[in-house]
Amino acid sequence: MKILTTVKKVVDVELNIHIENGAIVEDGLQYVINAWDENAVEAAVVLKENNGAQTTLVSIGGEDNTDMIRKCYAMGIENAILIDEPSLAGADSFVYARVLQKVYETGDYDLVIAGKQAQDTDNGQTGIILSKYLDLPCVSNVISMEVMDETHIKVSRLGDGGIEIVELALPAVVTVSDSINEPRLPAMRGIMMAKKKKIEIMDLAKLGTSLDEVGGAKSQIVEFMKSKTRQGGQKFEGDAAEITTRVVDLLANEAKVFI
Amino acid sequence: MDFDLTKEQEMIRKEVRKFAQKEIAPIASELDEKEEFSETLTRKMGEIGLFGIFVSEQYEGQAMDYISYIIAVEEIARIDGSQAATIAAGNSLGIGPIYYFGTREQKEKYLPKLCSGEGLWGFGLTEPTAGSDAGGSKTTAVLDANEWVINGSKIFITNAACDLSMGVTVQAITGTRDNGKPEYSCILVESDTPGFKAIPMHKKMMWRASNTAELYFDDVRVPKSNILGKKGDGFHQMLSTLDGGRLSIGAMGLGGAQGAYDLALQYAKERQQFNQPISKFQAIAFKLADSAMEIECARNLLYKACWLKNNKRPYEKEAAMGKLYCSEVMGRVTNHAVQIHGGYGLMKEYNVERFYRDQKLLDIGEGTSEIQRLVISRYIGC
Ligand SMILES: Cc1cc2nc3c(=O)[nH]c(=O)nc-3n(C[C@H](O)[C@H](O)[C@H](O)COP(=O)(O)OP(=O)(O)OC[C@H]3O[C@@H](n4cnc5c(N)ncnc54)[C@H](O)[C@@H]3O)c2cc1C
Repeated sequence: MKILTTVKKVVDVELNIHIENGAIVEDGLQYVINAWDENAVEAAVVLKENNGAQTTLVSIGGEDNTDMIRKCYAMGIENAILIDEPSLAGADSFVYARVLQKVYETGDYDLVIAGKQAQDTDNGQTGIILSKYLDLPCVSNVISMEVMDETHIKVSRLGDGGIEIVELALPAVVTVSDSINEPRLPAMRGIMMAKKKKIEIMDLAKLGTSLDEVGGAKSQIVEFMKSKTRQGGQKFEGDAAEITTRVVDLLANEAKVFI
Repeated sequence: MDFDLTKEQEMIRKEVRKFAQKEIAPIASELDEKEEFSETLTRKMGEIGLFGIFVSEQYEGQAMDYISYIIAVEEIARIDGSQAATIAAGNSLGIGPIYYFGTREQKEKYLPKLCSGEGLWGFGLTEPTAGSDAGGSKTTAVLDANEWVINGSKIFITNAACDLSMGVTVQAITGTRDNGKPEYSCILVESDTPGFKAIPMHKKMMWRASNTAELYFDDVRVPKSNILGKKGDGFHQMLSTLDGGRLSIGAMGLGGAQGAYDLALQYAKERQQFNQPISKFQAIAFKLADSAMEIECARNLLYKACWLKNNKRPYEKEAAMGKLYCSEVMGRVTNHAVQIHGGYGLMKEYNVERFYRDQKLLDIGEGTSEIQRLVISRYIGC
C-alpha cells in the first residue's frame, strides 16, 4: 500500500500574532507543522509499521519547510516531496488541491491521508477538494483506521450524533481528526537519520503542469482582524437570596437565555 | 565564529523539551516526595533515545555529538534533576567506559541493551574511605586462574540497585606499581553474580527519584576477560570518564538554573504586592537580571567545552570550569528563585524548593567544587 500524506507548514497560533493595517506582522512569527497533519503523519507511520505501507509526504512551500519535513522523517516517514514554487504565493485550497492532484498522479498511491483542517486558516477544504479532483471516495473527520485487505480499509468517522464506521475501497482520500492518535515524539536516532535523507524538490514544471493549468486562487484574503477577546465574568457578593434574584434577572433580561 | 546550533541540535532541544514537559513534569514532584525511582519513565526516556547518545549506530547508540548530549541533559534538568541524573550517569558513567575502553565482545554484549534504556549500568569508584581521594580505595581484585576475585565495597553508586540495573564497572586494586603505589583496574560485574549485593540508599535530600546504591563484593568471581581495557589502566580510565562526566553535571547545573529562573520570572510577573507585580521592584528585577546573565555565561562556557571535545581538542580544563561554574550558577539562581517566591518558595507545591535541594549535589558529585578548583589551578600552573 502506498500512502501520500499532505503536510502544511503553519504559523504557530499559540504565540501572539500581531496584526497591523489588516495584515499579519511577519516579524517574530514561528512556524510549526499543522497539528492535524501531524496526526496524518502518525497515522501513515502506524500503517507502515503494522501493515508494511510505504509512506510519502508532500508539502507545498519553500526551503523553510525542510525543518518540518525532517521532523516527519524522524517520526518515520520514508519519502518526501517538496513543491517549491514561489508563484503559488497567495494560493487557496482550490489551487493547493490541484497541485496535490498532480503529485498524486506522479505515483501510484492507494491512499491519501490529510489533516481535516489547518490550524492557520481553519478552512477544512483541501483534502475534500482533492478527492473531488481525483474522483475518489473521501471520508472526513476520521478517528480510527485499519487495513482490511490490500484494497480495503475500515475507518470510523466522528459525526454530529455518533460514530460512523465506513468500509472504503482503495484508492481513497481520508482527512483525519486530532483524536485519531497521539503523534509520537521523534526519537534521537530518527533525528540523526533524518539528516541524511534526501527531499525530492519539485516545481510545477517538473510536475508537468503550469500555473495556468492549476488555475489562480478562487478566493482572496482581503484583511485580517483580531477576534474579540473574551470579556471577564461578573462577580456577585452578598446575601444568597439577593444574588440569586439578581442573576436570574440578568439571565432573563440581559443575556435573554430564558424565552 | 558561529554560535548557531545545527538543525539537529535545535530539533533535539525542542523534542526533549516537549518530552520533559509531557512525561516528566506531571510526576516529578510526586516521585521526589515518595523517593521513588521510576522504571516506566526510564524506559520511556530510553524509547526516545536518551541513552547511548554519543554511541555509534554499530552498538545501537544514537550517534550524536557531545553538544546534542549536553542539550538533552540540560532540557531534562530544566524540569527535573533526578531524571537528568539517571540520564547523565547512564550515559557518562554507565555506557561511557564500556564504549570507550571495552572490547568488541563487551560492547556487543552490553551496549545495545544499555542504549535502549532496557538496562542501566553503574560506575563504582567511591568508597566509604575513598571519596575525593581515590587513593583511599580498599576494594581489591585478585586473579585466581581464569577469574578475578573481588572483595570490598562501594558507596553512592548511581543506577546500580534498581530492577533495570544490569551490572557495574568497579574500580579495584589489582597490584602494586613500580613506585609502590597501588595499581587500579576496572572490571565489569553483572548484577546477578554470586557474592555481589547492591542495596538502594534512602533518605537523600536531593535526586530523590534517582537510584543510588551501596555495593558489597564478597568473593565475587568474574571471568578474567571482564577486565576493561588493560590491567593497570583503571586510574586513567576513571579520570577520563570523569572529564566527560563533568560536562553532563555541568548540563544539569545549566538546565536546573534555567528551570528555576523560568519559574521565578513567571512568578515575579504574576505576584502582586504593594499594587504592582514584584518584578517591578528593582531588588527583584536585578536578581532576575543577574540570573539571566549568569545562565548565558554558563551556557557559553559549557557549550565551548563540548565543542572542544567534539573537535578532539584538549577540553579537560574547560570541563572542570564548566562543571564548577554551572553548578555554582544554579546555586545562586535557585537561591534567588526561592527568595523571589517568598514563603511559597518553601512549599513543595511550587517546585522551586526541589531545584534548590537538587542543586546541592552538583557541588559534591563527580568531584567536589574544591576538587574542581584544584584541577583548574593545576592546569593554570599553580
Ligand atoms: C547522589 C550521589 C550519587 C553519586 N554517584 C556516584 C557514582 O555513580 N559513582 C561514584 O563512584 N560515586 C558517586 N558519588 C560519590 C561522589 O562522587 C562523592 O560523594 C564525591 O566524590 C565526594 O566524596 P566524599 O563524599 O567522600 O567527600 P570527601 O572526599 O570526604 O570530601 C569532604 C569535603 O572535603 C573536601 N576535600 C576533600 N579533599 C580535599 C582537598 N584535597 N582539598 C580541599 N578540599 C578537599 C571536599 O571538597 C568536601 O568538601 C555519588 C554521590 C552522591 C551523593
